[in-house]
Amino acid sequence: MSAGVRGRRQWPLPRLADPTAPLLEVEDLSVRFRMREGSVKAVDGVSFRLDDGEALGIAGESGCGKTTTALSLVRLLPPNGRIRSGSVKLFGIDLVPKTEKQLGRYRWREIAIVFQGAMNALNPVQRIGDQIGEPIEVRLGQPREAARKRAGELLDLVGIPKQRASAYPHELSGGMRQRAMIAMALACDPAIVIGDEPTTALDVMVQAQILQLLERLRRELGLSLMLITHDLSVIAETCDKVLVMYAGKVAEEGPVNRVFTAPRHPYTKKLLSAFPNIHADRRTLDVIPGSLPDLRNPPPGCRFAPRCPAAMAVCREVVPPEVRFADGVRVACHLYPTPDATPNLDLALAGQVPALDGEVAR
Amino acid sequence: MSLQATELTVEPPAAPTRRTRDALGRYLSRTDGVIGLAVLVLFGILALIPTLLVGPLQNVTTATGTPLQPPSLAFPFGTDELGRDLLNLTVHGARISMTIGLMATLITVFLGAMMGIVSGFAGGVLDAFLMRVSDFFLVLPTVVLALILAPVLLDLIGPDAELFGIRSTLIVVVVVIGLTSWATTARIIRSQVLSIKERMFVDRARVVGSGSGWIMRRHILPNVVNLIVAQAVLTFAAAVFTETTLAFIGLGDPSAPSWGQILNAAQSAGAPGLGAWWYIVPPAACVVLVVLAFTLVGNALDEVLNPKAGGRR
Amino acid sequence: MTERPHDETAPDTRHAPNGEHADHGAVPHDPDDHEAAARAAALHAAAHDPALPSPPPHPAHEHAPGTTVSAVAADAPEILRLTALEVHFPVRGGITDSLRRRPKGVVRAVDGIDLSIRKGEILALVGESGSGKTTTGRVVVKLTKQTGGTVIFDGEDVSTLWGTGRLRPYRRRVQLIFQDPYETLNPKHTIGDFVEEPLLVAGRGLSKAERRKRVIDALEAAGLRPAADYAARYPHELSGGQRQRVVIAGALVMDPELVVADEPVSMLDVSIRTELLRLMLDLRRERGLTYLFITHDLAIAWVLADRIAVMYLGKIMEIGPAERVIRAPRNPYTQALVSVSPSPDPPSEGEDAQRTILVGETPDAAHIPTGCRFHPRCPLAFDRCKVEEPPLFDVGEGQQAACWLAKEG
Repeated sequence: MSAGVRGRRQWPLPRLADPTAPLLEVEDLSVRFRMREGSVKAVDGVSFRLDDGEALGIAGESGCGKTTTALSLVRLLPPNGRIRSGSVKLFGIDLVPKTEKQLGRYRWREIAIVFQGAMNALNPVQRIGDQIGEPIEVRLGQPREAARKRAGELLDLVGIPKQRASAYPHELSGGMRQRAMIAMALACDPAIVIGDEPTTALDVMVQAQILQLLERLRRELGLSLMLITHDLSVIAETCDKVLVMYAGKVAEEGPVNRVFTAPRHPYTKKLLSAFPNIHADRRTLDVIPGSLPDLRNPPPGCRFAPRCPAAMAVCREVVPPEVRFADGVRVACHLYPTPDATPNLDLALAGQVPALDGEVAR
Repeated sequence: MSLQATELTVEPPAAPTRRTRDALGRYLSRTDGVIGLAVLVLFGILALIPTLLVGPLQNVTTATGTPLQPPSLAFPFGTDELGRDLLNLTVHGARISMTIGLMATLITVFLGAMMGIVSGFAGGVLDAFLMRVSDFFLVLPTVVLALILAPVLLDLIGPDAELFGIRSTLIVVVVVIGLTSWATTARIIRSQVLSIKERMFVDRARVVGSGSGWIMRRHILPNVVNLIVAQAVLTFAAAVFTETTLAFIGLGDPSAPSWGQILNAAQSAGAPGLGAWWYIVPPAACVVLVVLAFTLVGNALDEVLNPKAGGRR
Repeated sequence: MTERPHDETAPDTRHAPNGEHADHGAVPHDPDDHEAAARAAALHAAAHDPALPSPPPHPAHEHAPGTTVSAVAADAPEILRLTALEVHFPVRGGITDSLRRRPKGVVRAVDGIDLSIRKGEILALVGESGSGKTTTGRVVVKLTKQTGGTVIFDGEDVSTLWGTGRLRPYRRRVQLIFQDPYETLNPKHTIGDFVEEPLLVAGRGLSKAERRKRVIDALEAAGLRPAADYAARYPHELSGGQRQRVVIAGALVMDPELVVADEPVSMLDVSIRTELLRLMLDLRRERGLTYLFITHDLAIAWVLADRIAVMYLGKIMEIGPAERVIRAPRNPYTQALVSVSPSPDPPSEGEDAQRTILVGETPDAAHIPTGCRFHPRCPLAFDRCKVEEPPLFDVGEGQQAACWLAKEG
């Protein structure tokens, strides 16, 4: 992790920036999709913070809203999606009220995205050198020669031999394409790089290589990363903080080595134990029964309650408040009504913990 | 590793979405499709009950008007050189034109779909051969072929053959249209088949032991039906147009006047020179309207039946 | 009609309609696909099963291999044996190549492997893309024809069954679970049609009622109840996990003995994966199934398999009991794979140094290196490795590794 002024802050900040504000602060973000059957609140009151040089992982399964959250930061939502409320403050500048035109200043120049499946995001009929140079020309207004030179530097940076700049995407292997995507994301020296499942669909060895690359870039450039993935191991390896989402809401958030070694939220715990772990001594697999709630009509109270073995009566009625613990972890669960609650989670999940109001946990 | 065989009872999905109604709804929301359909229904009515609407088809002996009269109250479309009511002729012409169009389409679609599916699925030498055959038919000029085939076929079937109410010459027209149109359909179906046969459910069918015929019938065909339907509609339009052309150059049946036939007669009677516009405009306009309507319907159908989502989800 | 051999090294465009390299499955489809989520949610599971406690940690009986609930008896008969199996695809040259008399290349997707599986066993075939594992699976279910070697099933040589009447009975006994639940089901057919198809095709003279009963039984065995309800649905009405259960039902309906599972869970969410894996284990116990489990995920192989075989560029690099291969790998490739295998435990200090991240990527199967095919990337390669390809050496306790370093045992 970095100390002091690093990364993007070495360069001139946007005019309206507040130098004392945190790099990225998202508060109470809500995103709604309008579907034929009704309105779906894909993201419901999500808050988090990203500091300079930090790597934040957003974890969750499909449908939990993690990708929507990331895309809504630069408003790359489909036509039926809309940010309903909340604020997204980059250097203290709230991006939500900005117009499309104004957002152009921030898209790619401050926040860039590495998409999943590089084949989809790369133009198949354009050489990768040109594709990497394009944002430099278009967004930074640099002349073509300078852009080309910079593209070469970026290729170097991500470990692609410079002479491959004239290659087309289909001539590159999967790992190389992903590196090219990373180079493209870095083209305008953004403050934040968001990776949306950047290593899924890659071989495990290539995945390790890419993660190693991201780590190196983070150190050398002082980048701040946001990794969106369902793969907890990627987050465990690369990120400082993790945000666990479920059905559009935050379940748990905190430093990775706290949340993953001593999870508090039942969903986090179940999710972790559902991951086959090659280094674990036991060969077990946990099951999370049930399925995601219908987001058109989310259950009242905690959204995980229907599937939670530790659910109590209050869970089905009242939305759990977010509680912040001393070790920096934030949890939204009725098992933790105050910052000093320490229920035995294993027992609670086995349905054997007396609830706070004397009722046996169900 | 499995502890208790936990019975994960999964509740069944909600009632099946009514896919047909869904598609119909989507179709009806398209203005072009609705307009096209309306026009077709109108002409369909004309084609089905012409006698009810305008009386029996007039011929030389039953013509009641003065020759080549411009439109009037008694004769809204005027008269031809024999004094026949052009409205009467035009309405009856709908039946001929559309019948021929329909028959030709059936041949085209059946032949084209079959060739396309077999060729696309078989691949290899058979595919190459069939495609070369279809190339040949693709480049055949319709009119030339018609003129060459007409005497030959007429010899074959005799001058008095009749099929579904149309006579020899027109049967020739149907055959010619079929021969020259099937290749396009075949190619289009074939390219769809090429992509379908790579899909995993075809592999799965193989793994459980299905033979090629089974796969073509049960897996390939249902997935190209949408395309076939859309193709059929467009072929119909083309068939009507081609029939009109052929009739115009003389390959028609004077006793069964299609719109093209009427135009042919107009030409022979010297209508353009005489300024008898009422002789030319109605049949021509009908052809244009019908072809346009079919095209609109075909396009709308294509969109509706082949949604982008395809087989996913 | 001859079955086309599938070129595994070509971009697997079949499995991802937009042509991406999704050999072992991308993340579960459409991460924020709310229509699918809404549909899936409409299938709200039996809300929370009060009888399901979280499994107690460290259940003793799950430690050692071979003491799982359905242990494989040491003297169980062999159900499948592959000997010197080869699948070579010719690379068709263009006209210019033919004119210039350039020799056409060969893609050696599977390049001589020996494999045997005992009845009731789960053998995991692990490898990255280009390893030949999928092609091997396809050869076993006879979707792809081998170009060399033999396949012996239940003591009988089934290497060349095409065109004989024995292919059908073979297909009844050996089935495949496909990778992509979204693609395996024909969107125009109902679930019932899908599960019934093998019965119709086999033409065993079953009456309609008998077929119906078997379809219902298969759906129920796969955990889909009420089965009659499911049978009437179309694929798009079901979630990914449910669809995969349908695929499993479709494989079960013929009462097979050997099931080849090709990455059956890689396209599903984590929490659904475990359900399906458990289902597969339950079925093994109840029906005495044997699995050839193909996966790129060593961790899944670890929790599931009795034995693991690691493939690289068409050859088996290491094979043995899961405990041995994962905890004491003897082939440097396996060692590297195990060391970078993702785990949800955050790395502790210094742990980074223990990961062997190989340089470069797997070369394509048309240009296989001489000698040991792994030597260009192997951190422990020495002279002999560059010239001579090592055979599989026995390193004890049923484990074998193809490496000159393992020669001493």
